[in-house]
Amino acid sequence: MPRILDPADPYYIDNPGRVRAMQEVMHEQDIDVYLGSRIRTLSWITDAFCPWRSFIVVPAEGMPTLFTFIIDALRVSDETWLDEDHVRAYAPMGGMDQIGALADFITTELGLTKGRIGYETGMSTYTAEGNLTHYEYERLTEALPGFTFVNAHEIVDGLSIIKDQGTINRFRKASAIVDEGHRAAREALENGGYKGMTETVIAGIAALAMRRAGSVSEWNFAGLNEISSGYRTGLGACTPPTEKVIQGGEPLMLDFHAMFRLALGDHSHNYLIAPATRRQRWHADNFVELVRLVLDNYRAGATPSGLAQIMMDRAESLGCADFVVPGCEHGIGLFGDEWRIGAKNDGPVPYWTNPDHVYRENELVICAMQYACPAEGIGFRYENPVLILEDGCECLSRYPLAIEEIE
Amino acid sequence: MEKKVVYLSEEWAAEALRRINEELSPERMNNVTTSMSNIYKNCPDGKERYLFIQAEDGRVTRLVVGQGEPPKAEFTITGDYEVFASISRAELGSQRALMTGKLKVRGNLTKALRLAALADRLNKVLSTIPAVY
Repeated sequence: MPRILDPADPYYIDNPGRVRAMQEVMHEQDIDVYLGSRIRTLSWITDAFCPWRSFIVVPAEGMPTLFTFIIDALRVSDETWLDEDHVRAYAPMGGMDQIGALADFITTELGLTKGRIGYETGMSTYTAEGNLTHYEYERLTEALPGFTFVNAHEIVDGLSIIKDQGTINRFRKASAIVDEGHRAAREALENGGYKGMTETVIAGIAALAMRRAGSVSEWNFAGLNEISSGYRTGLGACTPPTEKVIQGGEPLMLDFHAMFRLALGDHSHNYLIAPATRRQRWHADNFVELVRLVLDNYRAGATPSGLAQIMMDRAESLGCADFVVPGCEHGIGLFGDEWRIGAKNDGPVPYWTNPDHVYRENELVICAMQYACPAEGIGFRYENPVLILEDGCECLSRYPLAIEEIE
Repeated sequence: MEKKVVYLSEEWAAEALRRINEELSPERMNNVTTSMSNIYKNCPDGKERYLFIQAEDGRVTRLVVGQGEPPKAEFTITGDYEVFASISRAELGSQRALMTGKLKVRGNLTKALRLAALADRLNKVLSTIPAVY
């Protein structure tokens, strides 16, 4: 992933500007150093893929410095806009372990002996969020005795929620790549191609097509491409693919993920493998109608709870409310950012989406709807990155909304 | 029999500079431009000493020993005198000394990684100096 430094490039992101914006907020909050450890923070600041445990130190003024595992440091240095002096490595060597390197950098190179360090803590449903661990926190507070540690992740969350044009363009491209995966899967499944095929194999067919189209990772922390078929679709969504063989007469849920310059493609599409029963068709038609309704109602000013209510009211009138999971979306941003919606941790349940969050123009969310009927062994999942506009939304995946029957 | 010089003395430093430039060509030094200070704690006389080495385009241009604050260097390696002495006598590998925390590095490790082989070459040359420790 070569770095993009030309502001005229459609995928350019003004990372130095992001750092300056952070430093302004740090100044307002009297924070002397920001110690980021979440993957989303690393992606947002460095514009590099940092899959190994990494830390970013943002001083009150000047360039941030990244610390990453030594085996990947040169690659990260090659990708990020940060210069060589601002990409550091940690390793199991004297003075160079994570804690030693960070503490020494803050005290010796930044010249600080006391002050407020903003760090990142909280919780999420995926393991790899990257909050500072309890052990790291204890060791750092020991190594930096003159400092007060304050949870400051809302600085990054607040600045990253409205997407700039370069980010939006990257997401459009990532979605176009996911659509290539869906086309490849469709071709592989039709005309009896599904026979003998496992969930893991169809996941791999889509992965190859997406890689060929420019994706560098299936990125998702919960099983890469998430596939379920038959009774497993009724157990819910977002499950890793298994070796279950796809069968005729079953529903099939294909949730593909691509990554393009840290932007995440995430589109879930559903099929019925022929022959479908009238009851299966009824469930499928209900779901498509509900998805279309929700997509028609995304716009600046809408709220998650408002959309959920619109969806549930229609489901009630269709007679399928018992099968609809009452939530429509999850958050999305650059790699590592796939969780709650909103910048502030101000909802009724900490670290979950505030249902009264008011969408603003150029927010990105994943419209994520789920229909689950385990008693009948059927369920569906729809996902599509949605760009919030003043009077509507742009669905970034253009794969046609439908639940087709595949022979 | 070669005359022995006192480890970290002016004589030792002059001999070290001579041998390094004689035995390590700029190409063998990867034409590197860098600087490094070794900080020797707990010397036999109780003092702290440094060894400063500067290279320009693969040629070692300065090799200085002294007491007190060393010249500013790109990398600083700190450890006990006895650890450095063991490395110079080829009794202890520098990598092992680093990995066991007997030596502590300060500086950009990403850059230092590229210099690990050079440090080994330098240490091998230094270990050939007949010295009294």
